[in-house]
Amino acid sequence: MSIYIQSASHISIQKPLSEEWMEMPIIPDSFFMKSEEPDYKPFISPMEARRMGTLVKRALVTSADALRKGDCEMPDAIISGTGLGCVEHTEKFLNAVIDNDEECLPPTSFMQSTHNTISSQIALRLKCHGYNSTYSHRGTSFDSALFDAFMQLSLGKIGTALVGAHDEMTPDYFLMLSKLGYWKTNFYTLEQLRKGEEGGAISGSCSLSMLLSMQKKDTTLCELKDMEMFYRPGILQSRHAINDILLRNKLPLSEIDAVVMGLSGDQDNDDVYHELRKHVFQNTPMLWYKQIFGESFSASSFGVYVGAVCLHEGRIPYHLFFNPDEADNFQKEPKNILVYNHFHDRDHSIVLLTK
Amino acid sequence: MSRIVVTGLGIISALGMGADDTYARLLEGRSGIGKMKYLKSKHTDLPVGEVPFSDEELREILFIKEDASITRTSLLGAAALREALASASLLPRDRSWKMAFISGTTVGGMEKSEQYYYDFLHTRDRDEYIALHDCGACTDMIGQANPYGFEMMTTISTACSSAANAIILGANMLKLNRTDIVVVGGTECLSKFHLDGFNSLMILDHEPCRPFDKNRNGLNLGEGAAYLVMEREETARQRGVNLLCQLSGYGNRCDAFHQTASSPEGEGAYQSMMEALAMAGLQPSDIDYVNAHGTGTPNNDESEGHAMMRVFGDHMPPVSSTKSYTGHTTSASGGVEAAISILALIRSFIPANLNFSEKIDSLNFTPVTEVKQEVELQHVLTNSFGFGGNDSSCIFSKIS
Repeated sequence: MSIYIQSASHISIQKPLSEEWMEMPIIPDSFFMKSEEPDYKPFISPMEARRMGTLVKRALVTSADALRKGDCEMPDAIISGTGLGCVEHTEKFLNAVIDNDEECLPPTSFMQSTHNTISSQIALRLKCHGYNSTYSHRGTSFDSALFDAFMQLSLGKIGTALVGAHDEMTPDYFLMLSKLGYWKTNFYTLEQLRKGEEGGAISGSCSLSMLLSMQKKDTTLCELKDMEMFYRPGILQSRHAINDILLRNKLPLSEIDAVVMGLSGDQDNDDVYHELRKHVFQNTPMLWYKQIFGESFSASSFGVYVGAVCLHEGRIPYHLFFNPDEADNFQKEPKNILVYNHFHDRDHSIVLLTK
Repeated sequence: MSRIVVTGLGIISALGMGADDTYARLLEGRSGIGKMKYLKSKHTDLPVGEVPFSDEELREILFIKEDASITRTSLLGAAALREALASASLLPRDRSWKMAFISGTTVGGMEKSEQYYYDFLHTRDRDEYIALHDCGACTDMIGQANPYGFEMMTTISTACSSAANAIILGANMLKLNRTDIVVVGGTECLSKFHLDGFNSLMILDHEPCRPFDKNRNGLNLGEGAAYLVMEREETARQRGVNLLCQLSGYGNRCDAFHQTASSPEGEGAYQSMMEALAMAGLQPSDIDYVNAHGTGTPNNDESEGHAMMRVFGDHMPPVSSTKSYTGHTTSASGGVEAAISILALIRSFIPANLNFSEKIDSLNFTPVTEVKQEVELQHVLTNSFGFGGNDSSCIFSKIS
């Protein structure tokens, strides 16, 4: 029994609903990157779109696109991850509570403020009565959603799952997280990002949807072989977890063609990955993606997405290699890719993808 | 496949702290709903189900330092977690077992954010609370406030069914041997944001709520937290701990009708109950008690009532909504009501549905109005429904 990632669709800093980033990535030139909006008209009527929040609108479009690409009309489950939920509406209602002293409040923004608005709006549009859930666990929200889908598919409770990651960044939330050192405050070059000698990352908002199912087709992106989530592991336990997952799947580390890491140019974040490199992945080419997709609570979904697209296309573009010399020496068609993600060295996840 | 058993529970709500206090109040028939004491809202005329402890008292009980930053949602969660772990005989620093912590919440740290929002944007005085605002942060704080090493954590946010969905995820993890023990449930404290939100939808009753009553006029918002400790039967037997009951079935379905309202025929609710029954291998007639979602809003109770009539037909088991005691504890309610259902099962009683006087015309049943004692229960079903049509049901059964 195998579980496959059939299709994926995104709205991000890169060209929306497209894999053009493989060839021609947009290189962020600011620490607050806005997402490129797609043409919404083929998906949502302009009148509907006006009433919708940004995040829900994006989620509906990436979901519809992923379902279309995966040739699925009705998934058995809709599972989303969102670190912050519908911040736009939450702020609107919160500001009204404060400014209007709890009087005359707009019910619509409250209704749209709950994190599960995204999954439920997708279900409402599809009239999908199947399993529906939402994870909101900071940088591993998507990983949790994927884990839920993976387990239910493994148990045979469902046959298809639409799994998404959706987060927006409002100016106010950007400001608040800036105070905590989340974002870069200066211009930087890719070289400086690589060195990761400073704090902060590039802020990006994003929406990514993928379809999981049990049938292998020509268009299938890759197999979702296995995954694991763990908390505050330390390097020894991380190594243990990586060995476990490889052993379980009868793969020696030498057959892992690349490891996708959430390196972002933020020193504290990157140090964890460099430690892993030093202790586990000495000889495994290291890929990164946050230099082109940015950082957000949903960013880890792009690690899995990037890995899946590379396996499908049978190649890894030069710009994804963290170390350029590894790109020069990389000749083969990738067969197995590990995706490693962590949030503040608390929540960690490993996803094993194979061709 | 191995059975999933419950070996511990912890609960804090308007009925007080701990299973024993909760049980005593349910037997007395004394509601915890009343005037707000700690929540600083101007809508003081709205009754709430407030946990009868201040933040300072909770800190003291939990040995949390005065100057440590923590949200009320996390304090409530930490209190319930401590009881749950102790009742499952999980000793501090015992690392023999892999443990996962899955908690549901929706407004998370909002109760602090709404107080400090000006500071968040304009000063540096409350920066530590910015990082505690989101849902995941609450789970992380709760997990840290105890000396047990969880090996995995996550947070579910499906509004008022969050805790029920945490139970479901935890059960799936156990079935696949992804961990040995799961601690599952939810937590939510009262906030102006939440109270004003429900108020803006005009679904708050200015009187104590009247679930399943013809003249019901909305819900009372509550707060609380509850967690269950669940494991595979063989783990529990190996540990030599008391088995409280078995999680025999669960279902999660989406109503897919409206963002906040339930469909008239309760399609999502019907499907989630049927799914839970099918998994448990039970007939509707096997269910001895239903702890209903029963918020007291005109829409929910009618919709849920119709869904139950579709499931149970003319043989409606005893039904009650204990939200008439605790208020609607939103994200925690799936945990609070699972804990109450389990107490009913193991202590052989059926809690009453307070404030009921007249049957809803279109329904064929009335809820239990007096607490029933010394009743043998085999299987109890509990419903948790949320905004967005997120409907979940769980069935707990005596261990045969």
